[in-house]
Amino acid sequence: MSADIIVLGAGSAGLAAAVTAARTGARVMLLERHGYAGGMGTVSLVHTFCGLYLTGDGPPVLANPGFPAEMADRMLRATGETGPVRMGRVWVLRQHPVEFARIADELLSESGVEVLFHTEVLSASRESDGWSLEAVCRGQRKVFHSKALIDTSGDAVLAGMLGAAAGQASPANLQRPAYVFGVQGVIDGEEGLALAGRIVDGLRRGVLSPPTLGLHFRSSGRAGEIFGTIDLSGEEAGDYDPLDAGCLSRLERTGRAVASAAVAFLKSEALGWGQAYVSQWPVRAGVRESRRWIGRHVLTEEEVLGGVRHEDDIALATWPLEFRETNRGPKLRYPEGDRAAGIPLGCLQPEDLDGVFTAGRCLSCDHGAQASVRVMGTCFATGQIAGIAAVLAAGGGSPVDVAGIRKVAGFELPAG
Amino acid sequence: MMQEPTAEMVVAMLREEGIADVAMDFDANGNLFEAGMDSMAVMQLIVVVEERFGAVISPADADRENLETPAALARLIGGKMT
Repeated sequence: MSADIIVLGAGSAGLAAAVTAARTGARVMLLERHGYAGGMGTVSLVHTFCGLYLTGDGPPVLANPGFPAEMADRMLRATGETGPVRMGRVWVLRQHPVEFARIADELLSESGVEVLFHTEVLSASRESDGWSLEAVCRGQRKVFHSKALIDTSGDAVLAGMLGAAAGQASPANLQRPAYVFGVQGVIDGEEGLALAGRIVDGLRRGVLSPPTLGLHFRSSGRAGEIFGTIDLSGEEAGDYDPLDAGCLSRLERTGRAVASAAVAFLKSEALGWGQAYVSQWPVRAGVRESRRWIGRHVLTEEEVLGGVRHEDDIALATWPLEFRETNRGPKLRYPEGDRAAGIPLGCLQPEDLDGVFTAGRCLSCDHGAQASVRVMGTCFATGQIAGIAAVLAAGGGSPVDVAGIRKVAGFELPAG
Repeated sequence: MMQEPTAEMVVAMLREEGIADVAMDFDANGNLFEAGMDSMAVMQLIVVVEERFGAVISPADADRENLETPAALARLIGGKMT
């Protein structure tokens, strides 16, 4: 089987890349290990789009045109929300994972992307005129060929398979994982600070375990449904390694155990929680940071904090640096004057591989910058550009540069 | 008998324990929730306050009025110290 472009991973970046590339007329194949697209926003139940809007006072302004703006629009129509909500100094758009999966299906069908769910890539190699990929579905191997590849796996899976330059923070510094689950049956129940006080009381009495301190609840926007989010310390699993199945397995089990105990406790003690039950487990715990590519440009924490712009910027990083290095809540660092930093094209281009691009949370940056660019709004923005860059590379006729991307994009790139 | 904390001591504690990302000179009447303290950080806060001051903050005390500013927190902790 062959295509012009193969995209690895259908999270927010991969979805944006595949749809944007297919809309130019390219033949695009999207390989995804789960049964739906959306990544963290669906399989891990992360229910807010961060990084869509500029930071600062005043009304919400979309930072990146094109796919991010389209997703925001489609999600608003699906949820019926009136717009984003203010959280401290930033705007976030509440999104629903169920709607996200459906919207993704529509976008993929409309744009003509060939989607293969339940597919995990095993190996990649260079061919005379492109790339060859070996993938597996339930033990059945298939070989795919393409002129260009996009790694939106979130974990730089392709970099690992090709032996390309990649980096990963130490286990102690990696952003901690989040375990999100659905709860129903709470009627006018205790929330917010009252619930926080209640949970500490449970800990004090030895009914709940210490990881419960990382738990908070938020309404899903749907009647009677809330999401619980546990910021795990990662220490539940020994040295935290988001690429290790054993470590991930311990995280999943800890997440379910902590969530089950907390909901049972609240059911017996908290006002309005008498009928509460866990209604949904995530397909997998939410990983914030793992391995990333080292590309032609490595976006740094200093650049994001300085609001630095480059000649060849292709997207804006509007989310503050959101550090989750402990399970004691986020530590936010805002850029000077709330200026959005630019993400240059070089962050999507591996050092010496032509016809290969990356986007999303595994693009080329350091640990600090990743704390900003990992969010879904920014992943949509970098993903769409990876899609266009791959179209140019697969076409072979024109150089892959900002001028070429601008010509194909059909929307304005941020001015350098 | 431990001394009742001042607002400055509360700010120092929030910084040391990584509960709220506030400057040393954070206003005693500044809004901690606007400074990023969320309900998860509040859980840490309640645990830390009990460890440091022996002040037990009950679920009923965990409201916005009691937790919003360093000054309010200092008052709450003082009132709960035994």
